[in-house]
Formats: sequence, structure tokens, C-alpha cells
Amino acid sequence: MRRRFLQTPEAVAGTAILVLLAAMALAAPLLFPGDPLRIAGPALTPPFQDWALPLGTDRLGRDVLAELFHGARTSLVVGLAAAAASLAVGAVIGTLAGFAGGLADEALMRLTDAFQTVPGFLLALAFVSIVGPSLSVVVAAIALSAWTGPARIARAEVLSIRERDFVAGARVVGMHPLEIAFREVLPNALPPVLALSSIIVAQAILIEAALSFLGLGDPNRVTWGGMVAEGRTVLRTAPFLSIVPGIALVVTVLGVYLAGEGAVEGAAVRKGLS
Amino acid sequence: MGKHLLTVESLSKRFHSGGRAVAAADALSFHIDAAETLALAGPSGSGKSTVARLLLRLIEPDAGSIAFEGDDWLALQGNALRARRARMQMVFQDPLAAFNPRATVARVLDDPLRIRRIAPRSERPARIAELLERVGLSPNLAGRTVHEVSGGQRQRVAIARAIATKPSLIVLDEAVSALDVSVRGKILELLADLQRTDGIAYLFISHDLGLVRAFAHRVAILDGGRLTEEGDARAVIDAPRSAVGKALVAATPRLHRLTGQDAS
Amino acid sequence: MSAAQQAPLVALRGLTVAYGDDAPALSAIDLDIRAGERLALIGESGSGKSTLALAFADLLPASAKTAGTIEWEGTSPLGGRDIGFVFQNPAGSLDPVMAVGRQVAEVARTHLGLSWPDALARACDLFGRVGLPDPDTLVHAFPHQLSGGQKQRVALAAAIAARPKLLIADEATSALDTIVQAEIVALIRRLAAEDGMTLLFVSHDIALAAELADRIAVLRGGRLMELGPTRQVIGRPQNSYTRSLIAAHIGLDSPPLFAAANMSAPANG
Repeated sequence: MRRRFLQTPEAVAGTAILVLLAAMALAAPLLFPGDPLRIAGPALTPPFQDWALPLGTDRLGRDVLAELFHGARTSLVVGLAAAAASLAVGAVIGTLAGFAGGLADEALMRLTDAFQTVPGFLLALAFVSIVGPSLSVVVAAIALSAWTGPARIARAEVLSIRERDFVAGARVVGMHPLEIAFREVLPNALPPVLALSSIIVAQAILIEAALSFLGLGDPNRVTWGGMVAEGRTVLRTAPFLSIVPGIALVVTVLGVYLAGEGAVEGAAVRKGLS
Repeated sequence: MGKHLLTVESLSKRFHSGGRAVAAADALSFHIDAAETLALAGPSGSGKSTVARLLLRLIEPDAGSIAFEGDDWLALQGNALRARRARMQMVFQDPLAAFNPRATVARVLDDPLRIRRIAPRSERPARIAELLERVGLSPNLAGRTVHEVSGGQRQRVAIARAIATKPSLIVLDEAVSALDVSVRGKILELLADLQRTDGIAYLFISHDLGLVRAFAHRVAILDGGRLTEEGDARAVIDAPRSAVGKALVAATPRLHRLTGQDAS
Repeated sequence: MSAAQQAPLVALRGLTVAYGDDAPALSAIDLDIRAGERLALIGESGSGKSTLALAFADLLPASAKTAGTIEWEGTSPLGGRDIGFVFQNPAGSLDPVMAVGRQVAEVARTHLGLSWPDALARACDLFGRVGLPDPDTLVHAFPHQLSGGQKQRVALAAAIAARPKLLIADEATSALDTIVQAEIVALIRRLAAEDGMTLLFVSHDIALAAELADRIAVLRGGRLMELGPTRQVIGRPQNSYTRSLIAAHIGLDSPPLFAAANMSAPANG
């Protein structure tokens, strides 16, 4: 399975990027111990001048490379946590709606509509401004804006699965409807929902960056979005301060997409062969 | 009412498709006694499978009554219904579709034991092995997924699951139709065996009159949701009176029609 | 009848087919189909009967590894024109978004070089021949508007649209109920007789094969167990596997299986 997954070139590239990113995130506290927000040298040192500060320093003299590594942690944590939360919420709500049918389905789907009509980013923005910025609030805000896609897909899948004989069989042995929904139906509805995960992770990373750019990220953590915002004020004199985290964001989102594509394609190949 | 295991009276169910109402069950009345096999035969669309689903409360009828083991079966709801389901089980035509594709044989058999609290967790592996042996399978199969065993073995697992809760009635919905002939006979023998030892009654749904004649005590022939003919299986099939009964018998392939010889 | 004396339409010599690294689906099959005969291929699941049918029609998947020869009388036939194929599941072989009449006309147009109006007229004729009610209306219907039996009749019309020499029916009646099955089998028999087609009838049902075929070939695990005239294979089977298949058949004359105590008639074995 792994071998087939890695057969497509985009999967190899995507996976390589993600592995690098994960390594950066894990190595950050080892390579750059201490607070990445502390002053490490003279302000606005350009890159490749001082080998102790390879990517230079920002307006306040903070080490850009250290910030980049610690920022990878934030991006990954927020991306994965928000995706996991929105997939979980979406799958549960979609399963309940599809399996229960009738009034419960109507109510849950109208709720989904309501969330879907508000642009996700505005929803996250409003939520963070009301509750106040912190990492868990940012994760919750992103999940709040992203659970509707998984919910719709899970519901559609459940609608077809609940008509299958094995669900009837579970009813015949007297299984409780909630156990049927979550033990028999939900696991079989998951594959197409999980196929969404790469898009949601990428989306979450971008929304987090945008929130941080607007100053609504966790103030106690380095984030790439925050770094871009920091560099904005000196964009003419020190463009690298915005460009470096910007490139990191682009590469990360690209890596997530490519790996996701590869996984979906690998699954399709497996299905075709069996 | 009380003397039969199952008594069905005036059971009706209509389906709506494309603006038209189609009667899948039209005022059906029949009964099944303990340790008896009643066959439901009829062409496709005659309502055989609808009857199975109505009896198992997978769908609800528009009208009529069902009395099962003295209960007003249609009045049972929620926990009470789930508890009483132990006594009426079902085996489906396609055992692959009837099991969760992710399940192992052990899990398929563990479910009824756990849900109906038939055995505590520690005893269940032994009970599962017992059930597998009961249907002629090796207990070693327990760890396999249902995909990994053959069609005949899978249908034996389905039977093991059905008998796990000690039912008095099992609905067999085309349960042997998809099996190879050599396997089919052995499965029917197993079912006949279980009927002998445990007194289980069967509702045997089949379009194959040869099987019905060999396996069932009585037969009811359905057409368009109505019961057209009912009686002793061999008497009805050897001399059908209804048009559908005659058509079904005439259409049943005969091994020796062309050769004109008797079975050797 | 006279089929026995006729030259083979197709001769199979040492045909071996394997999928991937698994055991071969067919091993060294020697088999002739005689022009004008009705030959039944019977076997249980995994016997290789469908693989053999596909091999005759040159429809094996590209991944299949084959050895041996298939020799046709005269020129090699063209699938769809010289060989008509009817599958078990007509829904799978019909295009769900094309009117069924067009699908049949398409075959006639491609292989007989007819113009569209002529091809549509031929589709109409064929619908009448396969016993579809009101052919002029039904040619405009879509597959989902037809019953299972009607879809199989359409599939038959498409299979014979180009006047094939050989008609292959692979479990063509297995998904149908007994009454519709009997109708379709009677139709296949009539069409084969009217057009002088050779028929290869693949089935798991030995009784059905016995009713329809001149000769029966019994397959098991990719090997040919027995081949002979129906009367002989059914009446005096030579092979032990054939005997076991016949013994396992439960027909209208089989003794009851249930407990003797419950029986209302005397037991007989």
C-alpha cells in the first residue's frame, strides 16, 4: 500500500515536503531552544550576513530562522487540530442527520446551510474577536467554519449505506440505533470524508495565517502569518521578512495538497485493482 | 390467536413510486407453527421480500396485525422490541452484503451475544467457537474477516449469528439462492438439522419451487402482494391450482425433461 | 441432431488462461463448438466457465495471460458483429443515458453499414422479434424505465443486431425470476433457430442447461470434466463430478429434506 502510494511523483514531492515540515516542527525546540520571540541580535540584519543568524533578524532583532521553525509548529498544530476537529464534528453531525432522517435531518441540514452561507473566514474572524485570541480558540474558530463540507459528504454517504443489508442485519440482532450509526455506518462512510482532509488542513493553515496577519493569532506564539504582518511595515527596506514566511506558507499548503492528491489517487488505484 | 407461533392477519403495505401506489402486500393472512417451515414463493415483485421486512419490523405496515409468541408484535417499540428481536432472526440472500465489510467472523457473532447479554465478555470467545462448530465451521475462522471466507462458509456464519440468540423463527430470504448447488444442499441439511434439534420454525422465501418442495412443509404462493394459493408444499407444487402456481411450476427447469429418463 | 456431423465453427486447443500470479482460471482446454449447435457450459463458481466464454469472444482483460489456440472456420470473427454476447446483468451492459433503441441501432449501423433511419427501423424490428411490447414506443425508452426481463430482451436485440454467427449467453437468465427466465430461454432458443445461430449458453444451473442444450460441457476448477450430448451427460454421466452435480440438484422430483417426524408423506430416503 505504501509503495503504491509513493508511486505518483506528486505524492513523493508532497510527502517529502510534509516530512521536512514535521522535522522542522519537531526540531525547533532542540535547534532553537528558548523563546523564539527574544532578541537575538541587531535589528534588521539581512539574511546570509551573520552565520549565527542565517536568515537575519526582524525589526526587533528576533532570529527569523528560529521564528520560521517555531512557526512551523503552530501551522502544523493548528492545521491538523482544526482539520481533525472539523472532520469529527462534520462526520458526527452528517451521520446523525443521514441516519436519523426526518425532522432531525431537516434541522441539522438547515443548521449546516446556515453555517455554509456565512463565509468561513468571516465566521472565524468574528468568533476570535468575541472570545479572544488563543491557540485553542483559533482551532475552534477554524473548525467552526470548515465542518459543513465533511457533514454534507458524510450524510450523503450514510443515506446510501443505511439501506444496505448489514444495517438491517444489525437492527435484526437488536443493536441500539446509536451503536448502528456510529459503529456500523460511520466507519464505512469515512473514506470519502477523509479525502477532504488535505483540503481542510491546507485551508486551516491559510485561515490561521490570515487571522495572525490581522493580529488575531495567539500573541504568545510565533506564526508565519504574524511574521508576514510584522514585515509589512518594513516591506520596502527589508522585504525578506515577509517573503520568507510567505514562501514557507506556499510550500506547506502545496505539500499538503500534493500528498492529499497522491493518497486519493493511490486509493483509486487500489479500488480499481481489487 | 395463541395457538400458532406466528399469526399474520390482513397485513398490507403499499409503496409509492412515480405517483402510483403499488401494493407489495395486500391483506395477507397466514400463520407458522413451531418447528415448521412455511415457504413463500412467487415471481419477482410479488412481495416476498416485503413480507420478510414487515415481519422483522424493518419497515412498518399500513394495516394488519402480527402476533408472535403471544405478543402483539407491531405494538412493541424501542427497548422492548430490541429485546424481543432475539426470538425472530433473519438470514439474507447475499451474506457479503449482510455483514459490515470491516467485520471479522468473531465480531459478527459477538454482537448478538453482547447486545442480548447472553454471555459475559470472558465467556464469549468460547461461545463463538461453540456456535461455529454448531454450523460445521472450524473455530479457527473466528479471526478472519468475512471477506476472507468462501460463500458457503459465510452463509454458515450468517446462520450461526441467527441462532446465537436462540430464536423460535428464522426468516430465510433467498438464503441459499446465490450458493453453488453442492454447497446449497449442505446448508439446507444444516437448517433442517437445526429445526430438528432446536425446534426452529422457518419462513423460507424462494423463487425456486424445487427447493421449496424439498425443504418446506407448507407453501404460500404470492402474486402482486396477494396470497393466491396455500397448502402442503408437495400437494400444491405437484398440482397447482392458481395461474401463477401453474406458471411457476411450468417454468421450473427439469433435469430430465429432455432426456425423459428418471433419476438414477 | 445434424449438428453432430457438422464441421466445428471454432476449435479450441490447449487453451490456458491465468490472471496475475494466481492458479490458472483455465487449464489446457480442448473444445469444439459445432456450427448450428446449442452448447451449454456449466460449472460452479470458480470453474472458469465465464472466462471460457470471454475467451471465445476475445473479451479477456488485457492482463490475462493466455496460451493455446482458438481456430475459427474461415476468417477470424469480429466481436459484436460475428459474435453476440449477452451478460448476466443487462443494466451493466446498457448505457443508462441513451435510449435503448439507439443502442441497438448503433450496433446495426456500425456493423451492417446501415444509415440511421434504416438502423432505427431494424432496431424496431428486433424489438418486435425479442417480444418487447409496443416496439415503436419502447425504442425511445431508457434502461431505468424497463423491467429486468425487458432489459435482458433489449440486450438480446443488441447482441443479434449484426446477425452474428455465434451467440454467447453468460448467465443471461440468472438474475431473473423463474418465469421470466423460462421466457428468455425460450426466446434465445427461438432466435438461434430462426437465424441459424450457434449458441454458447453459460450457466450454473444444470437443469436449465439440460432443457436447452444439444451438448453439455462440464467445467470444474478451470478443467473440462466432461463433454457430450445432453442425453448422455445427464442420463449416463461418465465423470464423478458430473454425477455429484446431478445428485446435488434439487428439482421438482427430489425427496424432502426435512425431519421425518414432521412429514405428512412417507419418507423415501
